[in-house]
Amino acid sequence: MRTAKPGTGLRFDWIGTLFACLLTLFIALPLIVVGTWAFTEVWRYPSVIPQQFGLRFWGQTLARSDVWDALLLSLRLTATVTVLSAVICLPAAYAFARMRFPGRNILFLSFLASHAFPKFGLLVAIAGIFLRLGLISTFWGVVLIQLVGTLMLMIWIPVAAFQNVDRRMEEAARDAGATPLRVFWSITLPQAAPTITAALLLTFVGTFYETEGAWLIGAPGIRTMPVLMISFINNQIVVQYGAVLSVMLWVPSFIALMFARRVIGTGAFARGFGA
Amino acid sequence: MSADTALAAPRRHQSIDRRSFIGLLLVALPVFLVGWLIVFPIFSAVVGTIFVRGPDGATEFSLASYRFFFSDGYSLGNLWLTLWTTAVCGILLLAIGLPIALYLRFSQGRLAAYVQALAIFPMFVPSIILAYALIRTIGPNGTIDLLLNAAGLPKLRTPYLTPWGPVIGLVWDNLPLTVLMLTAGLSSVSNSAIEAARDVGAGPLRVFVSIILPRMGNSLLVTASFAVLGIFSAFTLPYVLGPASPEMMGPFMQRTFADMNDPLNAMTQAVITFALCLVFGIFYIRSIARNREARP
Repeated sequence: MRTAKPGTGLRFDWIGTLFACLLTLFIALPLIVVGTWAFTEVWRYPSVIPQQFGLRFWGQTLARSDVWDALLLSLRLTATVTVLSAVICLPAAYAFARMRFPGRNILFLSFLASHAFPKFGLLVAIAGIFLRLGLISTFWGVVLIQLVGTLMLMIWIPVAAFQNVDRRMEEAARDAGATPLRVFWSITLPQAAPTITAALLLTFVGTFYETEGAWLIGAPGIRTMPVLMISFINNQIVVQYGAVLSVMLWVPSFIALMFARRVIGTGAFARGFGA
Repeated sequence: MSADTALAAPRRHQSIDRRSFIGLLLVALPVFLVGWLIVFPIFSAVVGTIFVRGPDGATEFSLASYRFFFSDGYSLGNLWLTLWTTAVCGILLLAIGLPIALYLRFSQGRLAAYVQALAIFPMFVPSIILAYALIRTIGPNGTIDLLLNAAGLPKLRTPYLTPWGPVIGLVWDNLPLTVLMLTAGLSSVSNSAIEAARDVGAGPLRVFVSIILPRMGNSLLVTASFAVLGIFSAFTLPYVLGPASPEMMGPFMQRTFADMNDPLNAMTQAVITFALCLVFGIFYIRSIARNREARP
């Protein structure tokens, strides 16, 4: 959709260079800093670069039992939420994309409800209900709160995927005598699969790093990875522990998210948020 | 009407009903979750803070928790800080996001791709890692201090643990969606309208004010609403980067609910945040509904 004025290709792009420099400083610097700390053994003020690089703190961080407990719990929780979210949302997404039923538009828009309220206020209101139900500080309490957070993403993006499937191919298969289930399995699903996989990845990574619900509903019994990191920050223990965890946990999820980038780039993602 | 079509009509009608039923059945569970975990808690919070259970066990109408909030200096200080942070972040996001979105709309090539990648990048960085990284960067003796010292400049007063700490974090965190939503809004401004204005001699500023701005007014308001709703009750970044007192509504609600074990006052604070954001919420939903109707 971009256009350039004729001749702009030859002129030096001052504005672009300015944006590129400012954004590099603002966006990249904090991440470079945390990455450097993870591989640093000694870095004392006022030295601009660390006095001693090394991997000693990787060993120390990985030897902590609280890190392993939090990691395994986070993985178990995230896998549960992602699977449940897929099982609950994907059939609904198909129905919203392909079927006509009363109240379809209103029900579809209702998934935006969670975005129309200040999030933490909503979490406090839910926590009030969970307190009465005895779900505070339980595994399933955190699963439920995180499941709600995934609903919009796992419905809006797959709906777009199902709507973009080539109808003519489906009709051709049906004309050739394929059953509706066969058409869905062999034509519809393979075409929608890349976008649905991206939605699953976004859900998995988003849930893994979800902090607010996990803390408000889960504390003190459920301690996920982000909650552990908050306690590392609050208790001011060795700087490198948090830095090592940041690098160790973020790099794989960053790679996973790169696969989902196509979905974000198409504009469907921004439209999902109402642009 | 032939006998065949007369027979087929009720059968078709029946099959449409069955499809409607299956459709409703497929969407039932997520819709139930929305009702149970979003609509009901809000309703319950409003009712539960107005009809309060007294010491004798009987439920009675009382606005005492609201009276307390609006007469308590600390609560009002927190609310004021939240309003200030939201306004500052909202203005900064639009002031930074709009020029980037405009640049991306009218440029191409590697540099534009690099700017776009950087602007969207924070979406891939979880808030908690950002919080950690910002402490090491803008905190006392952090990288900014190191660089200033190396350049022979005096130390800056660190924004960490002041109201500006969360502002920096929240702008960083919300920049990608602001840019994406504004770019999506700008895509509705047609090239021919801009070219026509340029042909009659309009400069870039004139094109922006007369052609672009009127066409993306709605998009600007949706983006601002989304940012306000997200920032008003943000928790992680204000909790980690912000001052302990006064604090933003997010950390305040968390402390009231969990540390002080006072659900009634925490819910009252939540309802007050709902009320203050109601206009933005309604505007947000209405505008999305309108956009969907406009689309085929």
